[in-house]
Amino acid sequence: WVPSLTAPCPPSMKSPAVVGVLCTDSQGLNLGCRGTLSDEHAGIISVLAQQAAKLSSDPTDTPVVCLESDTGNIMIQKHDTITVAVHKLAS
Amino acid sequence: MGCCYSSEAEASDQEEETKRLLEPAASPPSKVLNGAEQSYHNLPSARTDEQAMLSSILAKTAINIIDVSAADSQGMEQHEYMDRARQYSTRLAMLSNNLTHWKKLPLLPSLTNQPHQVLASDPVPFADLQQVSRIAAYAFSALSQIRVDAKEELVVQFGIP
Repeated sequence: WVPSLTAPCPPSMKSPAVVGVLCTDSQGLNLGCRGTLSDEHAGIISVLAQQAAKLSSDPTDTPVVCLESDTGNIMIQKHDTITVAVHKLAS
Repeated sequence: MGCCYSSEAEASDQEEETKRLLEPAASPPSKVLNGAEQSYHNLPSARTDEQAMLSSILAKTAINIIDVSAADSQGMEQHEYMDRARQYSTRLAMLSNNLTHWKKLPLLPSLTNQPHQVLASDPVPFADLQQVSRIAAYAFSALSQIRVDAKEELVVQFGIP
């Protein structure tokens, strides 16, 4: 098994409610995406995670940014240098 | 968006705010405090402490009081009033021409007309948040394992006899 950037995408897409996944670096470069999330979302996803992190002075306290809607949620979390967004439908 | 209030800010703005809007007239309004003023100036140098305190209180009040009714105001005639109104409205019109970019700002979209229902709805399930954290950690470890696998020489000599 060769680790690749797209590797996390299929396993998370196997979870039935997940309809979109996106990985981006700290500057908004799209590292890989599947489903409903695509290139044009990479910028805003990286920026949202960065801005939310400023709310806490503790650098280890990384928040999960949730964009909630009637149909589902988009959850964004920053992990070190990359930011991952998961679009999950409401069950 | 900018900070409207910060508790750490120095209270140095308060001095500006407490500056008088109406400058006290050069001579304090004579109507109200005539008698008191005269007595202040005419008292003999030797007086009891109590009297001194009372008169100092009176003086402080006189300085701090702003008698609006006694403020010097000239009556304006009707035509003057109309002239000024016209002047102000033309000035406003000139200024508002420079503020065109404000008029173009779109209104924020109204996302829902039932905010209490939205706010009272269930929070994002914790299992989902954990799943996202797991996916993020997994992706980061995959990214950190990317490395160059050099199998051949980069520079190759052609076999030219």
